[in-house]
Amino acid sequence: MDLLLAWRNIWRNRKRTLITVTLVTLSVTVAVFMRSLQEGSYARMIENAVGSFTGYVQVHQKDYWDDKTLDNGMTENDTLMEKILSADGVKGVNLRLESFSLASHGNSTKGALIMGIIPEKDTLMDIQSRIKGGSYITEEDSSVILGSKLASFLNVSPGDTIVLLGQGHYGQSAVGAFPVKGIAKIPAPDLDRQIVIMPLKLAQNYFSFPNGLTSIVVLFDDPQRTQVITDKLNATLDTTSYKALSWQKMSPEMVDMINSDRAGGIMMIAILYMIIAFGVFGTVLMMTEERKKEFAVMVAIGMQKTKLATISFLETILMNSIGVIAGIAITIPIILYFMYNPLMMTGKEAESFEKLGIEPIMPTIMSFKIFFHQILVILSISLVAFMYSLISIMRLKIIKAIRR
Amino acid sequence: MKKETKASSPLRGDKRGAPVIIEVRGLHKTYTETEVEVKAINGIDLSFEEGEFTAIVGPSGCGKTTFLNMIGGLDVPTSGKVFINGTDISTFSSSKMIDFRLNNIGFVFQAYNLIPVLTAKENAEFIMQLQGRPKAERDKRIAELFEAIGIAGKENIKPSRLSGGQQQRVAVARALASKPKFILADEPTANLDSKATAELLDIMHELNRQEKVTFIFSTHDKRVIERAERIITLEDGKVVSDIIVNI
Ligand SMILES: Nc1ncnc2c1ncn2[C@@H]1O[C@H](COP(=O)(O)OP(=O)(O)O)[C@@H](O)[C@H]1O
Ligand SMILES: [Mg+2]
Repeated sequence: MDLLLAWRNIWRNRKRTLITVTLVTLSVTVAVFMRSLQEGSYARMIENAVGSFTGYVQVHQKDYWDDKTLDNGMTENDTLMEKILSADGVKGVNLRLESFSLASHGNSTKGALIMGIIPEKDTLMDIQSRIKGGSYITEEDSSVILGSKLASFLNVSPGDTIVLLGQGHYGQSAVGAFPVKGIAKIPAPDLDRQIVIMPLKLAQNYFSFPNGLTSIVVLFDDPQRTQVITDKLNATLDTTSYKALSWQKMSPEMVDMINSDRAGGIMMIAILYMIIAFGVFGTVLMMTEERKKEFAVMVAIGMQKTKLATISFLETILMNSIGVIAGIAITIPIILYFMYNPLMMTGKEAESFEKLGIEPIMPTIMSFKIFFHQILVILSISLVAFMYSLISIMRLKIIKAIRR
Repeated sequence: MKKETKASSPLRGDKRGAPVIIEVRGLHKTYTETEVEVKAINGIDLSFEEGEFTAIVGPSGCGKTTFLNMIGGLDVPTSGKVFINGTDISTFSSSKMIDFRLNNIGFVFQAYNLIPVLTAKENAEFIMQLQGRPKAERDKRIAELFEAIGIAGKENIKPSRLSGGQQQRVAVARALASKPKFILADEPTANLDSKATAELLDIMHELNRQEKVTFIFSTHDKRVIERAERIITLEDGKVVSDIIVNI
């Protein structure tokens, strides 16, 4: 009976209820879509920059991150490797030797990030699948892969040879000519503009750093466990020599940017919800005020105030649930559409993203959390609005209300 | 103050000596929220027996509504006590009082006060439903009542589409369906035309006889007063006469 009464009551003033429901639906739709666009972009950004490049956790020689020179590198070391691999959840490692050099071809010269990797094992970067021209390298090769933007800047195609000139271990000079075996499109634009990938052994030779490494990428499945694994590694490793860093520590600018962007988005949504809250509150207020006499009659003939409050609660919840459910139902296909057909940014915005090393596209993400948060917000708004009718019901004076 | 005690009345006929269900002693109600203090009820002692068909009469403002509200437990006296079936109702908590009203008192209001979103039948069975009576019992009772009060066929119609007289009949059905100990009706016919008034009175009286349900109603309508078996007249919050009529 309670539910039936509540249901009929909300449709007494059809227009008002429809407006309220529509407001809730719209706000949920806008909020879910905006948030899923934001979180989708962040996830993409992290995935491009972290998930397929630095990895979520790296181990370095303890001073390396503050001063990224080869002199702060380390050498391949079985005990270290065993310790890392035996940490709970760790699936494997990628070994890397990185440093900067000048790359030239013909008349063009450009600063380049030289990365020595074990080609078959660097599943993280997965360069193999990003090859646009030529072919991938093997461990034994003495050729290199170039990022596509760097290749076009240097006007290099597969088969050409580039010259690298830089500084090796302990101040030795590093010089070499390397055939370009392939061109790869790296999803992070700033990397694509400067990366030269070669087999680890070749890099160790070029930099005169036998068995040298700068970074050990620690692989594990669940990015959520980043902090746990970082802490665990720092607890087991000899921290007088080594240090494990999470991606948040390695790319604080990205964390800051995401956080401030997210805060901005949430602020806008909060303002939107504030407006909606007033609408919902107004409706509940009217529904309560205009029925005080009816409430009084029901209590007079024997309905407990708690039961009356239950009905009023159901009314508020029903009305808002319809709005939330409609909002979610509308958003799901929209989110799915933009997940597979992401929005492309254009103009200035796109440029500024590129500069930050971020692809200028905004995919959406289907996240239960986002839906859940909107449900929580609307539920809270409903509860606050319901408080008004609860207080009115509890304070209801039968005689006074019936005389009206 | 002219006052005839019921027990001694020769006019009571077959209803004489029935058990007392309501007893009012030294009842006062003073409204102090107003600028001038209003003594709405100024010392009333009365008792009502099972099966009565009683009118509380008097000019507007004499205290009829206030009196009914107090014996219905909707309002609290300034002093004095109301006993129902021997129990002082001022001892009830407000939630207990609501349950007590639910199970013992039927109310009929001047403005009908049906629940607009419920159909005639749903309105009539509302109290039985609050009491948790099974559906079969409710259906049987409502069918029987609707037949008796002449609104059979109107079960699924919403109050707004019924005439005033029909709405008030539904209200009587609602008050009566759960067989309360007594029914309080505050000016039940004030909003009705004379034909509807006569019909409603017939129905109420018929139910009073058949179901032995006690009716106490207020009115200042001569035609209604004429139909009462007992007429209690109030003036300035006091009983000025209490007559038992044999009809
Ligand atoms: N809530 C109230 N506050 C102040 N005065 C009231 C209130 N209710 C009733 N009164 C006064 O009490 C007196 C009796 O009112 P009422 O019982 O409504 O009379 P009746 O029903 O016979 O017309 C009137 O003078 C009325 O103005
Ligand atoms: Mg009155």
